[in-house]
Amino acid sequence: MSGHSTWPEWVYIGVVVALLVWVGAESWNVERLIDHVPADAEVIKVTGQQWFWTFEHPDGTKEIGELHLQKGKPYKFEITSKDVIHSFNIPDYVVLQDAVPGRINIVWFVPKDTGEFPIQCREYCGLIHYNMRGTLYVEDTA
Amino acid sequence: MLKLKILKTLKYNLKATTEQLVMRKIFGLLCILTILLVIPTVQYVLAAGDAPGEYIDRRVEIWNLFFRLMTVAFVIGAVVSGTLIWLVWRFRESNPKAKPTKYEEAGEWQK
Repeated sequence: MSGHSTWPEWVYIGVVVALLVWVGAESWNVERLIDHVPADAEVIKVTGQQWFWTFEHPDGTKEIGELHLQKGKPYKFEITSKDVIHSFNIPDYVVLQDAVPGRINIVWFVPKDTGEFPIQCREYCGLIHYNMRGTLYVEDTA
Repeated sequence: MLKLKILKTLKYNLKATTEQLVMRKIFGLLCILTILLVIPTVQYVLAAGDAPGEYIDRRVEIWNLFFRLMTVAFVIGAVVSGTLIWLVWRFRESNPKAKPTKYEEAGEWQK
């Protein structure tokens, strides 16, 4: 048939398949964990538009360009856009989700450290995209 | 004629060489290892529930996953490139251990 030993090739294929299965399982697991929104998360409605962010708290309070949250509390962002596609990003907390017109995308996180953190648009959205920034203020729970 | 061919094939399949038997065993072992890897992962995932007041830190989860996958990627990269480098070095024409292929020996591979 092949005229040479093929077992090393099968070992190679086996190792590669096992590694791919492991990589897939790990990624799937982590994705599942970070997609699982806690039941007690507070909902913040996030709206992107050229070229600023608006945040609406559950009590109806709105903030533009800045967001005040409390340390140690889970927050669920419901993200949408009024015009073009933007992307809501808080780099320090690895929060990144597209803001798409006519669609609500979800991402959640718990701020663990107090301080000021940059918010930015991560999808090129027009002339002043570079300056579509905001600030996240994480405060100690009262 | 067809019957003879089928018989020959059957005979060939029955006469598995030791090498083929070892290969089958290795394949079976790898299947078992894969299953052993998948089952604990699925169990762990299904066990992940809601503990009130305890939240995962997505920074930790995402960066840890990144580092784990990068470790795998670099190991595979090193093994694959190492194998290629060794192959090129070992089977170069000027290697003292190089042996001509049967085509080269027969002069069929000359320009």
